[in-house]
Amino acid sequence: MPQSIAITGQGIICAIGVDCESVLSSLKKEEHGISQIKYLESIHKELPVGEVKLSDNQMKDILGLPTDREVSRTSLLGAIALKQAMKSSVLKKEDLAGKRVALISGTTVGGMDVTERHYPQMLSDKGKARYVRQHDCGNNTKEIAELCGIEADLITISTACSSALNAIILGSRLLLADKVDIVLAGGSEALSRFHLNGFNSLMILDYDSCHPFDSNRHGLNLGEGAAYVVLERAKDLSMRKGCNPIVFIAGYGNRCDAFHQTATSENGEGAYLAMTDAIAMSGINPSEIDYINAHGTGTPDNDRSESQAILRVFGESYPPVSSTKAFTGHTTSASGSIETVICMLSMHNNFIPANLRWQQSSEDCIIPSKGQQNVELHNVMCNSFGFGGNESSLILSRTPVLLDDVKDSAEYGISSIHEITNTEDLSDVKKYVTAMEARRMSKIMKAAILTSMQAIESAGIQKPDAIVIGTAYGMLDQGEKILNHIEEEGEEGLSPTLFMQSTHNTIAGTLATRLKCHGYNITYSQGEDSWDLAISDAKQLISEGKAENILVGLHDYCPEHFRQIFEFAGIKVPAEVISRSVIVSKHKIGKEEGNE
Amino acid sequence: MEEIILELKEKIIDALNLEDITPEELDASAPLFGDDGIGLDSIDALEIIVLLEKNYGIRLANAAEGKAIFTSIESIAKYVQENRKK
Repeated sequence: MPQSIAITGQGIICAIGVDCESVLSSLKKEEHGISQIKYLESIHKELPVGEVKLSDNQMKDILGLPTDREVSRTSLLGAIALKQAMKSSVLKKEDLAGKRVALISGTTVGGMDVTERHYPQMLSDKGKARYVRQHDCGNNTKEIAELCGIEADLITISTACSSALNAIILGSRLLLADKVDIVLAGGSEALSRFHLNGFNSLMILDYDSCHPFDSNRHGLNLGEGAAYVVLERAKDLSMRKGCNPIVFIAGYGNRCDAFHQTATSENGEGAYLAMTDAIAMSGINPSEIDYINAHGTGTPDNDRSESQAILRVFGESYPPVSSTKAFTGHTTSASGSIETVICMLSMHNNFIPANLRWQQSSEDCIIPSKGQQNVELHNVMCNSFGFGGNESSLILSRTPVLLDDVKDSAEYGISSIHEITNTEDLSDVKKYVTAMEARRMSKIMKAAILTSMQAIESAGIQKPDAIVIGTAYGMLDQGEKILNHIEEEGEEGLSPTLFMQSTHNTIAGTLATRLKCHGYNITYSQGEDSWDLAISDAKQLISEGKAENILVGLHDYCPEHFRQIFEFAGIKVPAEVISRSVIVSKHKIGKEEGNE
Repeated sequence: MEEIILELKEKIIDALNLEDITPEELDASAPLFGDDGIGLDSIDALEIIVLLEKNYGIRLANAAEGKAIFTSIESIAKYVQENRKK
């Protein structure tokens, strides 16, 4: 039976406010939160950022934590926003008892701030070495659940800047497949030296306050924050007193631009496909979309490509569009949920947030809205794009929208599993990539390409139509090199090639680009559960009829310095190399092997 | 000039991981970007910007500025000669 999914709670913390009320007030008064760095330890006082105006200790106070407890700022932000969301949904811990609850959280930087604080002493001080446990994204979600005192299935999505929107999309999918009863979904990300310097090395930061879609745009301002929403099947709501739907999920799309790791295609193909998928699913006519909250980072590349995609979808009479990143800065992995909450606030308070500081039209961009009061917003679209060409779009509606539920398909075909687990010779990769491409590839990337191509060949398909990857630690090799660089040489002179390949979804994005796979593309990062989550998603894609052949992989590499830290801390040392690929198919595959 | 060209070639090979190429094979007058030359891309341009700052104290404000200078190794060498701070 088709059914509708309601958002029943929302929580937010970002540069323009520490809860829904203060964020709403800033949006209406057009007060932005871009300012000089205050809390992040960095030499870059010249770079404006959208920092949350609270110190770690002030946030620990809010959460009732002792100030000497080491907690990642990402987790502090996340816990504050998640608690608000549960409160606004009148969701008490006892409501969760006996229910299947999932906390789905998006992050890429994870506990990087903790690692940055202690990295130089991690091989000399055992107490500090143990903080390595707080490094990975999956742990961040665990920490947020602990700080909020909730027991839930934990799922971490790490698709760079689209992570939080993908978390909300996954939550809706799991509800439609009746795999969970209550979903807490969103994302959190704190500023770190790691990504501030990384974005700086890509020369896409504006040294002034950003002005998205303007002809004079020079780049983005990094921001930080967190936002979560509570998702439930609308038919289940009558069971909880005092809980009211705020908005309903109308449709969504997740696609891959399959063009480049950090650049966007000229015509915004991935964004175009994500938006058209979302519209098709919602059954809403494009002319009935009342507002688009754009990804609109303020970089020349993003704004041009997103504008072209919007024009392709909506034509010249596109709805009012604004980027609220001029208020909040680009909150990277949290931006999808932060902007979803901003959309919800706009819908309930009848206004379109201004695209601040826009002055001059750009020949390759849409003309954004300067803000509008007293306007009814019934259907709103929220875009969120990330490195690896990971592009997602969500449509929210004030009234229930019936969505198809999902029945589990009885049968799946699974190709033989291809695995590389040690320092095997990877020179075979040259069969698939040119020398110019191979020069940038780390060991794990070469292994991932080899096992993926072998799985594709053994399944007898040309290419997959979706890519689902799991990774416990992401691109730890690049991460280690960047941390070493900052420790040894300081923040200047970081290699853009390293940063470009540092997000957890680098492999998923590179594979999509190589295979020209514009389909669904996701990366899970939940420790040892990452592979199972990936396989389970692939099976659901088949049940949904969204894909027939899905490339599923697990890819992790533990570089030398991190190995030593794990050993010293007495924590289980991850395998040096694990690269495993398989094709999950709607069809039977000749030789059935390897039931996972 | 010849000296700077050789030095740049070595640094570029190192920074861009052009493992299979020797300085002799690199044509200093060949276009660095695009398919009819060495075939570098926009990320390589950013790496060259980092390299110029690190080694010669030359600071470029944005990637577009780099594009005009980085037509060939010769053109970079000329720019370095005229603008180096160290």
